[in-house]
Amino acid sequence: MVDFATILAGFSDALTVYNIAFIILGVAIGQFVGAVPGIGPVMAMAIAIPFTFALEPLAAIAFLVGVSKGGLVGGAIPAILINTPGTPDAAATALDGYPLAQQGKPLKATKMALFSSITGDTFSDIILITVSAPLAILALRMGPIEILALLIFAFAVLTGLIGDSLLKGIIAACLGLLCSFVGTDPENYTPRFLFGMWDLYDGLPLAAVAIGTLAISEILNRLSQTSANNVRAAINLTSTNNPADSKVSWTEYWSCRFTLLRGSVIGTVLGALPGIGSTAAAFMSYAFAKGSDKDPDSFGKGNLKGIAATESANSAVVGANLIPLLTLGIPGSVGAALIISAFMIHGMQPGPLLFENQGRLVYGLFGAMVIANFMNLWIGQLGLRVWVKVVSAPESVIFSSALLMCIVGVAMSEGGIFGVAMMLGFTVFGYLMTSFGYPIVIFIIAFFLGPRFEISVAQSMALTNGNLLMMYKSPVAMGLLLLSVIVVIWMLKKMMNAYP
Amino acid sequence: MLMTPSADRLSGAFFLFFSIALYFYIIPSFVEPADDGNIAPNTMPNLVAIVMGLCGLLLTIKPTDHQIPDHKFMLRAALFAVCIGLSIYAMSWFGFIYVAPVFALVLMLMIGERRPFWLLFGVIGMPAVIWFLVTQVLDRTLP
Repeated sequence: MVDFATILAGFSDALTVYNIAFIILGVAIGQFVGAVPGIGPVMAMAIAIPFTFALEPLAAIAFLVGVSKGGLVGGAIPAILINTPGTPDAAATALDGYPLAQQGKPLKATKMALFSSITGDTFSDIILITVSAPLAILALRMGPIEILALLIFAFAVLTGLIGDSLLKGIIAACLGLLCSFVGTDPENYTPRFLFGMWDLYDGLPLAAVAIGTLAISEILNRLSQTSANNVRAAINLTSTNNPADSKVSWTEYWSCRFTLLRGSVIGTVLGALPGIGSTAAAFMSYAFAKGSDKDPDSFGKGNLKGIAATESANSAVVGANLIPLLTLGIPGSVGAALIISAFMIHGMQPGPLLFENQGRLVYGLFGAMVIANFMNLWIGQLGLRVWVKVVSAPESVIFSSALLMCIVGVAMSEGGIFGVAMMLGFTVFGYLMTSFGYPIVIFIIAFFLGPRFEISVAQSMALTNGNLLMMYKSPVAMGLLLLSVIVVIWMLKKMMNAYP
Repeated sequence: MLMTPSADRLSGAFFLFFSIALYFYIIPSFVEPADDGNIAPNTMPNLVAIVMGLCGLLLTIKPTDHQIPDHKFMLRAALFAVCIGLSIYAMSWFGFIYVAPVFALVLMLMIGERRPFWLLFGVIGMPAVIWFLVTQVLDRTLP
């Protein structure tokens, strides 16, 4: 499908000074924000998207991938140093990282997290580069009916696996779909839900929805929990005078090889499935590592294998998340949904046709991901001591700056204050949803998938003369629908057990 | 028997009534009909309204144990939201350059920051960095 010359051209595009500069910037920003508890790579990506307008598509997407990858490395730092994970993914890292830091080995713990993260990330990137093109070829053979069944399956999986309540998951998905209907209907282009505001003719502004619901609502949540005269204080780190406690030797790294490999495989497999996420991968990998170790009691007391297991797994999710995104156009996580929005902002539609129409860009992205891994290692080694200081930056500066960046970013992307007002509306909406326990990730993913879902329904109706029951003629569609039913029944059963 | 108010009952009831309003008033009033096409423009919104209403009803009947957030936190969040809203409104009149430092100062004081260095950094330093990044590096205009 993609010839060798295109692949080479893509990789060489990633190697230009311009693109490498943005990868470095993305990784550095990602590590920085990951190290700040409460910001995290998702919020950083949401804030950064409008600023990538001015960039070329590859530089923009490579920059965002850099932020995402760097964020996972940075997220481990506060988890290890102050037992406060910078990202939810790093929560499991704190189990062994924090005790190790308490023993006077904070640099050993953060370096092990860095090396494990790079190992997992590189492993999943190799899998992504290897399998995504053949998967895209298979996906191209799917017609509208199979795509519709696939989207139904994606909704079933997403709604079921995220959040503690199936009903809330379905409501969140409905709200996301409802918001995606704003603008014009995809078949007749008649106006829907404009309420007299012609700015909505092209639909709700992507950047305003993403930044409002993901970034500012989270800032609002954090701000509401701060109290006056209680600004977070700087931290004090203890360290021993033994140089061996400040580094990870090759022997120590090699002794964790099976843990790293298992974590990478778990992260890659779970990452390729939409909706499971890196936090689940990290805890699953940790549980496997502890269960299979000769000395399980040492876990939770500063065992390097505990850090290796969690960091390799949660980082492996990042690359694998792009498998459903690039091959099928289905985002598997909020981070992937944000990357989709960056694709769309630059006029590209992720999915199997992307390999055919923008093969060079896709392989440029793959090249950028590999470079980002090296940069993560390099910047991580150099910047670790700097990021350690970052965890003590005051929230007052971080949150006020982040809010200003959000306002400016949305104003830039939407070309005026209307988008900023919409962003504020979605901030309140996101805050209320989170406060009442509705999964915002489902809302965002449904919002992105909504237009495609509606088009698939319309196309399937046209193919089946309005009788969607004719879908039984497609074995692939039937298989996917059957899987959807199994997932929903399983979730219902799970819900019944949880809330009898 | 009097039902105990819970976060899920409240939100479930809200979505139930919102879906009814959506189905009977909002969709008929704000979705223009079309004669052609395989699905009418209001088909999917109607379907979504029905599913959401049913889920809202079920959530009201069988809520989870999710608690209503503390009123203090919600009021404080509302205060910050109003502050952000006012600053956006002020920006549309006076522009980012004049409003951003005031907004940053108010926000930092509300959070509890009193240290002069960090106040100066947040009020002067960060807006200046954003101005430089947007107008000089990216060559875009500020709101």
